[in-house]
Amino acid sequence: MIALITGGSGSGKSAYAEELCVSWHKGSSPMIYIATMYPFDEESFRRIARHREMRKNKNFDTVECFTGLKNVELPEKTTMLLECMSNLVTNEVFQEGGAKERTVEAIMEGVSRLAKQAENLVVVTNELFSDGIEYTPETTCYLEYLGEINRRLGRAADVVCEVVYGIPVFHKNDFGLPNDL
Amino acid sequence: MILVIGGAFQGKLEYVRKTFAAGTGAVAEGESCTLEEIREAAVLNHFHLLVKRLVEKGEDPHEMARKMLEVNPELIVISNELGYGVVPVTPFDRAYREAAGRVCCELAARAAEVHRVVCGLGQIIKAG
Repeated sequence: MIALITGGSGSGKSAYAEELCVSWHKGSSPMIYIATMYPFDEESFRRIARHREMRKNKNFDTVECFTGLKNVELPEKTTMLLECMSNLVTNEVFQEGGAKERTVEAIMEGVSRLAKQAENLVVVTNELFSDGIEYTPETTCYLEYLGEINRRLGRAADVVCEVVYGIPVFHKNDFGLPNDL
Repeated sequence: MILVIGGAFQGKLEYVRKTFAAGTGAVAEGESCTLEEIREAAVLNHFHLLVKRLVEKGEDPHEMARKMLEVNPELIVISNELGYGVVPVTPFDRAYREAAGRVCCELAARAAEVHRVVCGLGQIIKAG
């Protein structure tokens, strides 16, 4: 199963995605948490620490991936949580050695590979598209890449769910998922 | 408590006035109201501006949310949804946006109903 979990900032989408993984995962082997936030200042360290605390008793092994998703070595047939797409795109677009104008292709190759090897894949992304502000060409290009990736993931996913303050609002197939996982 | 959320200028207050019997009662404004006014009100409008005031003063919005519900468990809370844009440039805007999101998650979890208003139309995303 593939799920795409989206939502605004501070909407509770990460907690929901983690609970979804826990509910889908079979067996006692660890799940894989693919962490994409590149820590560059105190604020990002605090965010990472908050997320680590949130998932610490949920049986996730953390694998960091800042760029080059398709090269990450991961076990087969497990449940994977990619958190989150907006950071991965930021890294590929703005970091040295990132995929730059090949970002969409590079990331989709990586996601396809994960989808093939995983039993369940849950991807967390972000709704960054509704503030109506005109940004620099670089940021606009970034938004365009993320938007295209979100659309492609939306097509590929079995479940697409927007989390609104902790409440799942399904855009594609709820598969009978309960409101409180 | 009933939570009503949505983007700016979507007709949330008007929706509240039309939809709920209590919605025509007194309105406390998040931008300026005291806890005492919240106690007396039927509707707390612009809750996000209350969160903003608290973050500016370095106070905890979660504590205020709990106090609000203690003094007025039947309150209808209206808040803008803030999180649907690019990460803000200033640390204050980031902290404010984050705080508003987290406290609205708590309110949504405790609310009997959550309504989301888009183009003046309400969708019940959590039913009582």
